[in-house]
Amino acid sequence: MSDNAAMQDENAFLIDAFRRQLSETVTPARIRGIERGEGADALWNELYDTGFLDALVPEASGGAGLTLAQAFPLLMAAGEHAVPLPFAETMVARGLLVRHGAPAPQRAVIVLGGDTQQVPGGRFATHALVERDGGGMLLRVTGDDLDVFGTGGCSSLDEGEVVARVPLPAGACQLAAAAVAAALMAGAMGRVLDMALRYAGARQQFGRALGKFQAIQQQLAVLAQEVITAQVAARSAFVGQDFDPARVAAAKCRANEAAGAACNIAHAIHGAIGATQEFDLQLYTRRLKEWQIAFGSETYWAARLGRLRLAAQTATSADFLRQHLAHEE
Amino acid sequence: MRLTVENYPPGTIPPHAEALRAPVKAFIAEQLAGSPAHLRARSWSGFDAGFSKALAARGWVGVGIPKQYGGAGLDPFSRFVLVEELLAAGAPVAAHWFADRQSAPLILHYGSEAQRTSFLPRICRGELFFCIGMSEPNSGSDLASVRSRAERVPGGWKLNGQKIWTTYAHKSHYMIALIRTSGTSEDRQQGLSQFLVDLSLPGVTVNPIKLGTGDSDFNEVFFEDVILPEDALVGTEGNGWQQVNAELAFERSGPERIYSSLVLLDLWASLLGGDPTPDEAARLGRMLARLAPLRAMSVAMTGLLAAGQSPLTEAALFKDAGTALEQQIPAEIADAIAARPDRAADPELLRTLAYLMQLNHVFSLRGGTREILRGMIARGLGLR
Ligand SMILES: Cc1cc2nc3c(=O)[nH]c(=O)nc-3n(C[C@H](O)[C@H](O)[C@H](O)COP(=O)(O)OP(=O)(O)OC[C@H]3O[C@@H](n4cnc5c(N)ncnc54)[C@H](O)[C@@H]3O)c2cc1C
Repeated sequence: MSDNAAMQDENAFLIDAFRRQLSETVTPARIRGIERGEGADALWNELYDTGFLDALVPEASGGAGLTLAQAFPLLMAAGEHAVPLPFAETMVARGLLVRHGAPAPQRAVIVLGGDTQQVPGGRFATHALVERDGGGMLLRVTGDDLDVFGTGGCSSLDEGEVVARVPLPAGACQLAAAAVAAALMAGAMGRVLDMALRYAGARQQFGRALGKFQAIQQQLAVLAQEVITAQVAARSAFVGQDFDPARVAAAKCRANEAAGAACNIAHAIHGAIGATQEFDLQLYTRRLKEWQIAFGSETYWAARLGRLRLAAQTATSADFLRQHLAHEE
Repeated sequence: MRLTVENYPPGTIPPHAEALRAPVKAFIAEQLAGSPAHLRARSWSGFDAGFSKALAARGWVGVGIPKQYGGAGLDPFSRFVLVEELLAAGAPVAAHWFADRQSAPLILHYGSEAQRTSFLPRICRGELFFCIGMSEPNSGSDLASVRSRAERVPGGWKLNGQKIWTTYAHKSHYMIALIRTSGTSEDRQQGLSQFLVDLSLPGVTVNPIKLGTGDSDFNEVFFEDVILPEDALVGTEGNGWQQVNAELAFERSGPERIYSSLVLLDLWASLLGGDPTPDEAARLGRMLARLAPLRAMSVAMTGLLAAGQSPLTEAALFKDAGTALEQQIPAEIADAIAARPDRAADPELLRTLAYLMQLNHVFSLRGGTREILRGMIARGLGLR
């Protein structure tokens, strides 16, 4: 086996292990409990002790040393399991902090800062990595109680003491925050597709499974398109060392657009039961809606991408796609 | 089957294929110098035998065909690069398009040695153009119901029936036709065969059909007691359906399913210059955000095809999403310019836009309709 194939195998093994762990620890019952305010410390400690929060920390500093591309499936898995805490955000923040010379405090729950109307998981955050004075700054924070989606998000962070300063490039925090949101959305949409498929196979009307009706089949085909194109766009944002504006713009724009269609189709196929609190679908679609307004909408990112295209002055858009948005090893 | 991002493994175009890009760009720049956008917008509907011959002279028609048959012996990634550049520039590739994409690979895989040595070198020299004869008046989406029929006669076959919507039959030398050789249309996929039909034979009549725009790109083709030689049959008698399906992943996975409106998009972008309104910037970005993952998926499928796989469901999903975007681009640009009725639009932009606005509704028909593709995706998802 080539080195490359061996590494891929190892990574696949890691991801499987992580998904298994999430299935066991982040159960729907537990998500509901945390959303009801039953305390998140126990879950955070369990997640912390898995070691996966240091996936992006270099091996020399005690982490797994994964690249962004290798870590992407972990973030998708977090979205797929609706992890009710800013786990993915903390993972990315820890990587950024260590790489820029400031290891994260033990067990800190870190969100990423940036212009946004809603910070997912912000109410659980002890720290935020934000951009200030031309660099990055790790601050102690307390989220406000404007948790409009009931997921533990907040609309603003009350800033406390400065814990560390790191030389982050301009815009890095916002890009990381939007990229993480796109990856989580990609995962959650995968779950929503799976649930819709399973339900269409099980629920019978007019003496047949819903999935046997052509109208439903066509809707599910569209759902699959939206979900998979969003997943591919998100994956393309996780290449190289640092998040790139064009890639993140395409990823968040596509994720936002797709999420609208995905939620509508998945809920349509589930009928009334899908809208209930008892049914798990809302755990994912509620988060998708929150992520849609977190760190820039599709129009915001589309406008940035459009301006990048014009500034690049490539002869054709195919050139722009190839030079700025294609997959890179 | 679970359909996820993993069905499209991340891929990069290898350096040997990328190396083709610069010379292809230079060739296109020279050939298309001064060609206006509204003509380039015809893209793979634009027929120019001279262009195809010049391209062939560079060795760029039938690049995937082995050298011993006159091709360049290159891999699918090289063809991807070539085709991407041709389509992005709006080169008139229709003359050799179907032979290059479908007929030549078909003859290579299923043809006899005599057929390969007879047809492939002429295709690669840009001398032999093919059209695709599948649809009939009563067999559109329900392709397995075709009624055109070939009967064995001493020394060959006798062909009767009719094809329709055959793109550029009036300018092609041969048709690859899906024909019934046994049973009836009730036998469906059984008893179908593929033939190489010389369109200059007695008994073949080709009548152009005009589109709403007045262009005539496609035709009806009648066969009346056309006597075909024995070796007009390609592949195995009765195996036509399987052979046709083997081509579909090639036909539906390429950049021609996302770039049909690209010349328009880029003309509009160039007119926006450095100073778009927020609305214009967002519209442009939205199209690009849709294009980006689709191009990545096309590259991914190229890798799968290069590895000998046949990603049929993946290609159906890509084509349906891609043609929807191709349709959306003219609509977005129309909305953007007419959002300012007080401002005159660039005349060339108007011409290009009008061409695509009048054509974009066919993008989801050619190569299998939306509903049929979605049915295939549903099958891939395990629903059927
Ligand atoms: C520009 C252009 C170029 C073409 N070039 C060629 C060519 O070169 N060679 C060739 O052989 N053909 C060609 N075609 C024909 C093309 O393949 C057919 O148009 C296509 O297969 C659909 O067939 P139809 O037009 O008969 O529509 P129909 O099959 O009659 O379909 C009409 C509508 O009904 C829907 N429909 C049909 N069956 C079902 C079903 N079971 N469930 C739900 N909906 C259904 C279809 O999706 C479509 O929306 C071309 C078409 C166009 C527009």
